[in-house]
Amino acid sequence: MILSEKTVKKIREKASKYPKRKGAILPSLTLAYKQLGYVDNEIYIEISEVINVPQLEIAEAASFYTMFPKKPRGKYLLQVCNNISCALLGADAMVDRLEEKLAIKRGETTDDGLFTLISVECLGSCCTAPMIQINDDFHENLTREKLDKLLESLKNGK
Amino acid sequence: MSEVVKEKITAVDTVTCTIDGQQITVPRGTSVFDAAGQIGIVIPAFCNHAKLKPVGACRMCYVEIEKMPKLQVSCATMATDGMVVSTNSQQVREGRKAVIEFTLINHPLDCPTCDKGGECDLQDLTFDHGYDDSRFGFDKMRFIEEEKRDTFDDLKIGPEIVLNRNRCILCYKCVRANKEAFGEYDIGAFERGDLTEINATPGGEVSNPFSGNLVEICPVGALTNSDWRYKIRVWLTKTVPSICNFSGSGTNITFYKEDHKNFVYRVTSRCNDAIDDGWLSDITRYGYQIVNSESRLKTPLIKKGGKQVKASWDEALAVIKKHMGQIKDQSGGVCIGGLISPSLDNASLYSFSKLFRTVFKSNNIDFRGDYRYLPSVTDSLFTIAASQPFSISDIEKSDVIITFGTDLIREHHNEYLKIRRAVNFYNSTVYSVNPYAVKTADIAKSEMVYSPGTDELVINGICLVAIEKKLVNSSAAAKLKSKISKLSPGVLAKLTGLSKEQFEELAEAISSAKKVTFIVGEIVARSLDRDKICAALSNLNKLFGVQDKGQLAVLSRYANSKGAQKLGLSATPYEIVKDELKKIWGEYPDCQPRNTDAMINLMKKEEIKGFITVGANPMRLYPDRSFASEGLEHVDFLVACDMFETETTELADVVLPLCSWAEYDGDYINLEGKVQTGKQAIKPKYESKAAFEIMELIARQLGAKLFENEQVKNEEIEKLLKLDSVLPWPDDFLKIEYEKKSSQDGYPVPLFICDDPHHSGHLTEKSPSLLNFSDSAYVELSKGLAAKIGVADGDPLRVESPVGKIVVPAKISPVLNSDVAIIPRNFSSTQTTSLLMRKKRVDSVKLTRVEE
Ligand code: SF4
Ligand code: FES
Ligand code: FES
Repeated sequence: MILSEKTVKKIREKASKYPKRKGAILPSLTLAYKQLGYVDNEIYIEISEVINVPQLEIAEAASFYTMFPKKPRGKYLLQVCNNISCALLGADAMVDRLEEKLAIKRGETTDDGLFTLISVECLGSCCTAPMIQINDDFHENLTREKLDKLLESLKNGK
Repeated sequence: MSEVVKEKITAVDTVTCTIDGQQITVPRGTSVFDAAGQIGIVIPAFCNHAKLKPVGACRMCYVEIEKMPKLQVSCATMATDGMVVSTNSQQVREGRKAVIEFTLINHPLDCPTCDKGGECDLQDLTFDHGYDDSRFGFDKMRFIEEEKRDTFDDLKIGPEIVLNRNRCILCYKCVRANKEAFGEYDIGAFERGDLTEINATPGGEVSNPFSGNLVEICPVGALTNSDWRYKIRVWLTKTVPSICNFSGSGTNITFYKEDHKNFVYRVTSRCNDAIDDGWLSDITRYGYQIVNSESRLKTPLIKKGGKQVKASWDEALAVIKKHMGQIKDQSGGVCIGGLISPSLDNASLYSFSKLFRTVFKSNNIDFRGDYRYLPSVTDSLFTIAASQPFSISDIEKSDVIITFGTDLIREHHNEYLKIRRAVNFYNSTVYSVNPYAVKTADIAKSEMVYSPGTDELVINGICLVAIEKKLVNSSAAAKLKSKISKLSPGVLAKLTGLSKEQFEELAEAISSAKKVTFIVGEIVARSLDRDKICAALSNLNKLFGVQDKGQLAVLSRYANSKGAQKLGLSATPYEIVKDELKKIWGEYPDCQPRNTDAMINLMKKEEIKGFITVGANPMRLYPDRSFASEGLEHVDFLVACDMFETETTELADVVLPLCSWAEYDGDYINLEGKVQTGKQAIKPKYESKAAFEIMELIARQLGAKLFENEQVKNEEIEKLLKLDSVLPWPDDFLKIEYEKKSSQDGYPVPLFICDDPHHSGHLTEKSPSLLNFSDSAYVELSKGLAAKIGVADGDPLRVESPVGKIVVPAKISPVLNSDVAIIPRNFSSTQTTSLLMRKKRVDSVKLTRVEE
């Protein structure tokens, strides 16, 4: 089992609250994602056994939601907003800078497993554009210097 | 009308609306689409399907409805009182054009290389309703799977199915049918937006026993099957209506044939709501390939110097004349016996019976070559139970459905699907009561797995608990109690491995049901103690009045089992049939009737010297191979008629090539007693002949004549079919003796030999498509048992019974949950029936891992 006992227990608890077993698909995926940072076919199979819903239905649901990453990701998920406000204020340059510093392309993960870089749509922080979300935190009004510093401190484990 | 609501509405609950100026009154809950259909207005559609719930995915079925600002999808809009609909207004026509244009945005428009061309809904509807140009100039979104890529972006997603995602218009019919109608989860829709794709479950393939339907209902060329694709264009073929030859329900099918090549190209459905709802099992869909098989017997063969060599019909018949004539003259016709397949048509069955009874004057005939210890009297309880009326369409009208001793997905595909439908559309409650866990159970309210060989005790348990709980009429209760109360419900629970609560649940379900369907299947029919089980069923029927409010029957398994019974093909026909035969023929042999078992026994004693098999293969299918082979090897003169060389024809002195059911017109009686005609699609291949012709030829060789002409034959058959063939249950409650189960020392695992879900009997292994699904024997077992033995899926396992041993791969079942072994009997490469002992109620085996 890739899912931890704790996760399985939580999934069972959640599942028991739904009148139809299928209802538990998304909460289960979310719990799995919280543990692992991603979901994939092996996880669908495990969830399917826990909540007794066909693997197919779990795979279909997971594939529909782009916010469930399907591959393991770096410790830090760098999500650069590239929607209109951020784009006007230099989001592309931010991405270029990150690609250069980390030596990866958008959608890729560094070899040390520390960073995954993706660009995302509007994060609702247009007034402080350009911005980046790293895991659960916003970092706003970015400049090139600020970004470099941020990266350094993450590398140093802060 | 939408099927979903058909049952729920009463005649009063109707609505009246106006469609294109015509008033129509329909039951409430009818969609506008269906209401229009009733007055002959056809609304174009892609995603709507009469047997599935509407989803409104394609938007093609737009109509304009007064007081509604926008166009509405007629398939998912229910008709209401006073609604005024127009299906062909300017706005509707424009809407349709727009939908087509939208649907075609990413469609490759590769009709010339697409196999669906000529029968593609998209092609037709674009022609009727589309623009001839598109305003979308950008590159089309295209799915390409570099590694797996075949040609034209085709992707194989199952043993038979090829997917082209670029052509898919996302009507979701395939996925919906798979889940809703078949309860299968091997194809799905993934991603979203323009990236949405249909595909097999990750890591899996689309191989369920109904997968062929997905291809048939796909409105475009996104799903095609290897059986038909790129072999011929549809407009070059002709269609012929026929009946499936592999099932007892008589699924309605259409042959697609081409006359110059004298070839059948495919089989599709011919929807008959009362039987099949237009769904075919893969066996029905791909089984026809045996007709075209290169390995068919092409000419008669006769044994010369120990070897079978090709011969002409005249030569073969002369040999038959000589030997059968000799046996008949010297030892008497009673020394001749015969076994015929219950999949053959009425005319063939009847001719066979007439040949034996009037020419040989012998009563040694049977049509049940794959059952042991068959009843040797006319009115055995089993025969009574098997003669009871049954209606397939009543299944969905029943609020309580019980499946007892039947593994439906291996025995009765249509009934399996009807039950699913009953649950999904009509909220029926299903109880699955079987000696091992079966696939049907996923929709069952309760699944009860009893220990193999305790069938009648389960029924007794239900009856006793009902009496205890006062769920039934008290005078009847008292009468029955005196007959079966030797063992208390508690003891019965222990013996059967069920609990008293489970008996109670069933008793309550049956007694409170408004309408019951109680299906009994092959597990009971194949049991040595079938009479005892049927006695218990007789009691149950009487106690609860099951048939007064529904149906209870042992379903017949083969395409014409019912016909065989009605035409008197068992050694001991119904009395009324016998009387009628006497009347028609002016004679009836008064010698001892001998059924399959008795005949084989007499072969061993050399009292049966001549034997004829027609389409039957006892060497493979009789449930005790060494018994069957000892008998057949002793026969002086064996004539075997079949489409192929089989284990039985190998032993024969004369082998005659038999026609398939696609090669002549024939009548078949399905398990409901309905007579249906299978039309001739092609001319007999090679030198094959229909069984009724062969019987006549043999008769004439022996100086007799079966029928003056065809009309006489038909009239005689007609007379027999008119007779009432339902036998009455006994008036009284019956006593049921309990025998202690013999111990299975050393052979701990109960064994069930049955059909693979993709095969039926001994012929389907000649269908290449069916072999793609399953091509050799295996032993199916539960995860738990596999772990105990220490085998993984695919590991070789030694399967040993006291009389035989085979080595086959283990197959871990997603369904089984107790210690049983299931082995298919459909492959000539493994003699599975060599494990069986005909005198055992429950066969059992020892399973051991084969060390590398
Ligand atoms: S593959 Fe065919 S049936 Fe399935 S969604 Fe696409 S078009 Fe519809
Ligand atoms: S556009 Fe970047 S946060 Fe809204
Ligand atoms: S047929 Fe009505 S939306 Fe597809």
